[in-house]
Amino acid sequence: MKNRLKLLRVERGWTQEQLGQALGVSRQAVNALETEKHDPSLDLAYRIAVLFDQPVEAIFENPHAG
Amino acid sequence: MSRWNNGTAADRKYVVRTMAFTVPYVAVNVAAIFGAFDEIIGKPAAWVLAAAVAAPVLGWIWSILSLMRDSDEFMRALLAKRFIISAGLAMAIASFWGFGESYAGAPHLQTWLIFPLFWACMALMTPLIRTSR
Repeated sequence: MKNRLKLLRVERGWTQEQLGQALGVSRQAVNALETEKHDPSLDLAYRIAVLFDQPVEAIFENPHAG
Repeated sequence: MSRWNNGTAADRKYVVRTMAFTVPYVAVNVAAIFGAFDEIIGKPAAWVLAAAVAAPVLGWIWSILSLMRDSDEFMRALLAKRFIISAGLAMAIASFWGFGESYAGAPHLQTWLIFPLFWACMALMTPLIRTSR
């Protein structure tokens, strides 16, 4: 799933490890999200949205949106 | 060792749990190879030996399930994919060989080889399965 996660992380000067710690997931999970190798669960997507103070759809592109 | 050095707390727990089952498995087998149980081979007591050696297999499966429970959603999905594909491959290879024995005169192999075969498939699949999709 296309997303702006890497951009948002780099803007804040965070490493993948730091973002993973903030979200309660592994560095590998952050890397998989950024490289579109993993589609997040709704729970994780909401956690990411809260962390960056943005709506989910501002971070993750809705593939079903017309 | 990379799982221990670079892994998460869940990874390190997994290493400890796995070793806890590997050590007795290896110890009993090494003892058997050196003849420690020769007196009971072929007797009913040998079933206890067979159960003792097979029990760690359940422990290893429990270790993997515990690792999945303790991991984040991405690692859990990866582990599940690797486990299912490896188990399927191991069963397919074992079935192929079993029918080879039945129909093609292939030499008999011990059925306990299915578990080392499963781990060989896991080792093969791990670097290949890198996405949860």
